[in-house]
Amino acid sequence: MIAYYPLRSCNTFNNFLGVRALALLLGFAIFGAGIVRAEDSGKSGRIAVRAGKVITMDKDDVVVNNAVILIKDGKIVRVGEASKVKIPQGYRVIDALDRWVVPGLIDCHNHTAGSLMDLNDMVYLTNPGLRTLETVMPESENIKQGRAGGVTSVLLIPGSGTNMSGFGTVTKMGGDTVDDMVMRSPGSLKIAQAGNPEWYWFGVGRSYMNYNTRQTLLKAKAYHESWEAFESGDSAVEPDYNPIFAGFRGLFSREFPVSVHTQIYQVLMTTVDMLTKKLKLRTVLDHCTFDAFKLAPLVTKTDAYTVNGPRQFWFDRSQRKMNGNAARWWQGGVHKLGINTDAPVIPQEELPYQAAMACWYGWLPYPALRGLTRIPSEALMVDKRIGSIEVGKDADLGIWTGDPIDPRSSCELTIIDGRIVYDADVRRRF
Amino acid sequence: MMVAEMKIKNLCLLITLMAIVAAPAWSLDVDKGQEDVNTKASAETEKSSDEKKDKKPKKEDKFFHLTDGTVHTVTGGVLRDISILCKNGKIVEMGQGVTAPDNAETLDASGYHIYPGLVSADSGGIFGSSVENSTNVFSLQMTLALAGGITTAATGNTAAKLTFGSTEGLVVKRDLFKSLRYSSIEPNAKYELRAKFEKVRQYLREYEAYQEDKKRDDEAEEPDKEWLKGKYQTCLTLIKKNAVAKFTANSAHELLDVCDLVSTFDIDAVIVGAVEGWTVASELARANVSVVVTPRKRARSDERLNRANGSSIENAAILHEHGVPLAIVPGNTSVTLWGLAGRDLLHLNMEAAFAVRGGLSEVAALRAITIDSARLLGVEHRVGSIEIGKDADFAITDGDILHYMTHTRWTVVDGEVVYDKFKDTLFDHIRPDGELESPPPDDYWPRRLGDDQ
Repeated sequence: MIAYYPLRSCNTFNNFLGVRALALLLGFAIFGAGIVRAEDSGKSGRIAVRAGKVITMDKDDVVVNNAVILIKDGKIVRVGEASKVKIPQGYRVIDALDRWVVPGLIDCHNHTAGSLMDLNDMVYLTNPGLRTLETVMPESENIKQGRAGGVTSVLLIPGSGTNMSGFGTVTKMGGDTVDDMVMRSPGSLKIAQAGNPEWYWFGVGRSYMNYNTRQTLLKAKAYHESWEAFESGDSAVEPDYNPIFAGFRGLFSREFPVSVHTQIYQVLMTTVDMLTKKLKLRTVLDHCTFDAFKLAPLVTKTDAYTVNGPRQFWFDRSQRKMNGNAARWWQGGVHKLGINTDAPVIPQEELPYQAAMACWYGWLPYPALRGLTRIPSEALMVDKRIGSIEVGKDADLGIWTGDPIDPRSSCELTIIDGRIVYDADVRRRF
Repeated sequence: MMVAEMKIKNLCLLITLMAIVAAPAWSLDVDKGQEDVNTKASAETEKSSDEKKDKKPKKEDKFFHLTDGTVHTVTGGVLRDISILCKNGKIVEMGQGVTAPDNAETLDASGYHIYPGLVSADSGGIFGSSVENSTNVFSLQMTLALAGGITTAATGNTAAKLTFGSTEGLVVKRDLFKSLRYSSIEPNAKYELRAKFEKVRQYLREYEAYQEDKKRDDEAEEPDKEWLKGKYQTCLTLIKKNAVAKFTANSAHELLDVCDLVSTFDIDAVIVGAVEGWTVASELARANVSVVVTPRKRARSDERLNRANGSSIENAAILHEHGVPLAIVPGNTSVTLWGLAGRDLLHLNMEAAFAVRGGLSEVAALRAITIDSARLLGVEHRVGSIEIGKDADFAITDGDILHYMTHTRWTVVDGEVVYDKFKDTLFDHIRPDGELESPPPDDYWPRRLGDDQ
């Protein structure tokens, strides 16, 4: 009844579905089902993946059936049809002929990559100097668990107990040291608009919170501008160094985004107005739940990214409608749309299931998978390294038994930077 | 001003007081009057009913005809282009080209999949605490559960049907289980329960011996049974297999303890939870217990223990492999509206899909939310599969029920359509024409926003 992945724009998919089906079946017969690994046959860091289907998630939405991916020194060096890509000597071959290979999934809203205790420091109502980099914990149970869901990178952000809880970290879900893991710090500035920060103390309401956040940002902006003037020679006076606001310079020069906890219609409106329009920040709108999707026409006019979750639906009492948030954003024209888990609210490994639910409520499977891969990589401004299977990008892959969004499919193997970090055959976690 | 206000307040108080004092007398009068009327009326109705008895027309049979769907019978495979005829809420005929009487209500299910209504082994918030007395049969929760394809659910200790709009046929079975606590958290209660079972079994042995003795010796003394009340009576019912015991147990050692109790006293039992069931699956099978599991339930493994432990997504699959009958329920067994999707009763089918992820076959996963679940509740003679003679309960879907995009198109309970996706506003805007790229509902966007910039 329901077609998988209606890629009308993609001819490759349609052609290969029919032509390669037979080859794929033969492949089963010859190599047998399951992943067979040639033990230690390759030089370190060289892997060849023979895949039944590769969803590259590149700009052309190419899907290659019966493909080979060559990985060397943590990077993808070749992707193509099996008939055209010869596996050179010295490569360790992973046979995944009845599997789907998709880019490693990315979650823009995660609180579990480190220890849970020191993520939501509620010292002041705005805590501009804090950063989550200090809390990253390599190989924690949470990280291992997340990899079992094919998640390879996350934006680890502080909680939403205060209006400004610090800088997040874009981190890989693999690596022995923090230096190995971290892709960028600061990954983003976390701002929480309304909702949770209202519990900070009596008398803290939306007017004050907006004033307070705005003041902090304006001070930081003034600091950035004074330095910019000095550096460009417009001003001869060297400004005083301020360790707290120094971290904000990348934010105002749009080197990293602001990620905002923002939910209902009115709150989202103030967010877009203050951060995206007035302060001209690169914005990632997180949550975007309840009736916020009504703002779609406004958001489409900005360069903001929308990352919906963990709430997937909103029951509109006035119209007796169960609205799928992601579906309504999409229908409203917001196509820079991703999905998050807010782990541990939803366990990290259930990130694709969030997309499944978004689809149940009316979204589309292919854009939903894109909302777990390419879109978040763009939102976090790391799309040069991750988010799709393309030559030159980091070798972050998930090897799945089928459609990754389908809860019946499981991730069998997760590769980060060309290293196998999760293998269900060794120990299945999800 | 103040004084005037006070006076008014006092006056109000006085009137209220008077009303309270006067009320009982007044209401008594009314009651008397009503009694009189009632007696008269009842006398009249008796007369008229006597007269009517002979003339009373036979209640007309109600037919429901479901045509040309793909029928997932659960117990008899998948049949294509099949029509089902139901009479008075029961399935009476099934096959290709089954015809119906002219007065039958017909539903064209061509292109749709017909599943038996799903059976949830647990639920909350759909039925009232007393099922037939306090259930709101018009509740949103009930409609949402029906939209999830559920037609029968256990609530408390009762199995009930989601007979939306009617209280008729609400209760399917009462007193499903005898709930027992047998946990190492309460060692004393655990010890006492076992001692009670032991005492009852001893009594039964003595009683048997007494009956033998009585044949030879008229003066044989019947063993004392004054104490055989309350919990002891429960133990007796269970040992005689007139009831099924229900335990909650998750860790391996608690499961083994329950298995030991169950096999020692040879009782029928259901275990709810069984998170570590996969580590002791053969023991559970040997003890002949059924389990209610949530495949996605998580318990972190403790590496200090010298055995496999913690949760596993393969739990349901491993239990099934060992022959342990199982029912699947979601983590939250009520219908929630706060926005976290796919973790409550509305997506019971998705919980079964997660069992498939862990290696359970799709057939077994479907059974775990239909016939196996019904069997666990002891209502499999009525619901859980599509068979002739069973209740006409169907979940008619637009696709494979284990697929994440499948919606229920109609839900039928006792031959009545109780949920219709396009007659309710809840989900009618989601893929209204079956197309993936459906336009948004037109009643929605605040139009001025965005347009005026």
